[in-house]
Amino acid sequence: MSQPILRAEGICKDYRDGDRVCRVLRDVQLAVERGEFVAVMGPSGCGKTTLLNVLGLMFPPTEAGCLRLDGTDCLTLADRQRNALRREKIGFVFQRFNLLGAISAAGNIRLAMRLKGVETDGQVDELLDRVELGGLGHRKPGRLSVGEQQRVAIARAVACRPAVLLADEPTGNLDSANARNILDLFRRIHDEDGLTVVMITHNPQCAAAADRVMHMADGRLVDG
Amino acid sequence: MLALPVANLLHHKLRSFLCAAAVGIGVAMMVVQLSLSHGMLDEVADRMQSVDAELIVLPENTSVIFSGGAMFSDKYRDIIESEQLDGTPLARKAIPVFLDTIRLGGQQQRMFGIDPADMVAFLGHRALEAGALFEGGREFKRHTERLRGSGKRYDPEAVAPAVLGRGCELVIDTRLARAGAYDVGDTTTIYDHEFTIVGIVESGVAGRVFAPIHTMRHILNGGVPWSSMFFVKLADPSRAEEAADALAARLHTKVELKDSYGRLLADSFHQVYLYINIASAVALVVCFLFVMLTMYTLILQRTREIGILKSLGASRRYLLGIAVAESVLICLGGTVFGIGLSYLARWVIEWLMPLATVHIEARWLAAAVVVGLVGGAASALYPGYRAARLDPAVALAYE
Repeated sequence: MSQPILRAEGICKDYRDGDRVCRVLRDVQLAVERGEFVAVMGPSGCGKTTLLNVLGLMFPPTEAGCLRLDGTDCLTLADRQRNALRREKIGFVFQRFNLLGAISAAGNIRLAMRLKGVETDGQVDELLDRVELGGLGHRKPGRLSVGEQQRVAIARAVACRPAVLLADEPTGNLDSANARNILDLFRRIHDEDGLTVVMITHNPQCAAAADRVMHMADGRLVDG
Repeated sequence: MLALPVANLLHHKLRSFLCAAAVGIGVAMMVVQLSLSHGMLDEVADRMQSVDAELIVLPENTSVIFSGGAMFSDKYRDIIESEQLDGTPLARKAIPVFLDTIRLGGQQQRMFGIDPADMVAFLGHRALEAGALFEGGREFKRHTERLRGSGKRYDPEAVAPAVLGRGCELVIDTRLARAGAYDVGDTTTIYDHEFTIVGIVESGVAGRVFAPIHTMRHILNGGVPWSSMFFVKLADPSRAEEAADALAARLHTKVELKDSYGRLLADSFHQVYLYINIASAVALVVCFLFVMLTMYTLILQRTREIGILKSLGASRRYLLGIAVAESVLICLGGTVFGIGLSYLARWVIEWLMPLATVHIEARWLAAAVVVGLVGGAASALYPGYRAARLDPAVALAYE
């Protein structure tokens, strides 16, 4: 059997507020197989986003037994190496889209590709077509609807063909029609590219789009 | 590398403009402060350079600025003109000047009392813009010389008011004429006598106000032919230093090269220059802090965007480069704006105060560019470095 593309064991994460320490993640164990579409569900404040940030190398865990991404031990990496690994292997989709407002939709996608050193010739338009935004690439994010902005964010995340796509409540800011479209898009990209997707959500309907659903409560994955 | 900073600046036009304006105001403050303070003194020194002479004879232990009144008798003039250097006459001419301070054009002016015949040495290539050069002054000179030549004691009371009135003439320069809205024929009261403006000469001459020396001596010194200083036109200008030493030894007074008037002025204004330099340094520091604070705020506001870029895998060096590039662009814009503002300020100052000289020198502009660019780059380094070091999740949470 192949190794999981993403494996985490004994992951703990504390937040400090002065002398107060709040443990947000408690001994999280997780394994995601290559090409899997996983949803992590749980109520607000249970630590879902923190888990995604740890898995996406956005900050280090406080304690961890193991954190491996596509065969790389992430716990021993320096900041520079974590950056490089994030650039090479991870695509992010955020609830608030996190597009750069100063540059166009196409510019956001192009920037991500350039950071990775990927040639952009023709590919940006192709990606925009794929997320059904053909002809809108010149628009700045502020001139796009929220659904369109999230499509740009998805196009940016998959532009560099990441090993894992991490999505944090990708439909959280969208109405139901837009949310359905975005989930269809995730599903389509996953099916067509065989992309590994880990999606955080508190919405059971969103979670239903995934192959496997894990539940989280009080900083622990309780099943899955 | 520049595309993103440029896009950021254009996206936040008002913020970019305000930041650049803040930098520009700091730069303009520094440039105007330096240009005004140095310009005023340099202009005085430059005007003195316009006199067709090589040496200045001044009273010992007296500042060039504060010297005035009757310091040298006419015997000094005879000695200067008879002094020899290696057997040949040292001077072609000694030009006596009687200096005094008067109020004209809304501020104090140094009035140069000169022999009307010497006016050409002061005028040089500059034009007489209006009127004439001391016709009455020449008459009064002839009258006083006749009195002195008669062998009797010179009695100022014996000079009829009408005769003295002919000698009460002023020649002013164009800047003073503009400042005081004076024209030829206008009169003003000095030393309780009515002086008439008879001529207006192109600015750049040594004094802004000239009067016949005989009139000044008559009014201020009972007609006794004393002077405040001499300009000396040498027979051989190439031997100016030797001539200065020889005259100093002979006269036991201060003899300086005319070219060193700027230095003498600086010596006289040592404390003022010290103040100016300290004030300029403070202006520079304030300007630098202004730039730093502006940039620090700007980069802090960029923290979330830096988080986005970090989530995309941007390296620290890239992020720092973006921050510095944006900061330098703003500071460059601000510096250009500040330089423009300085020229505008110069125009306003010189319009409001025609006698003020704001001389914007290339070195002040260079200093402004250096402060702007170095300040911009340096001030982006720390907040940029700090933001680039943040974990992306923390940077993204920044509001």
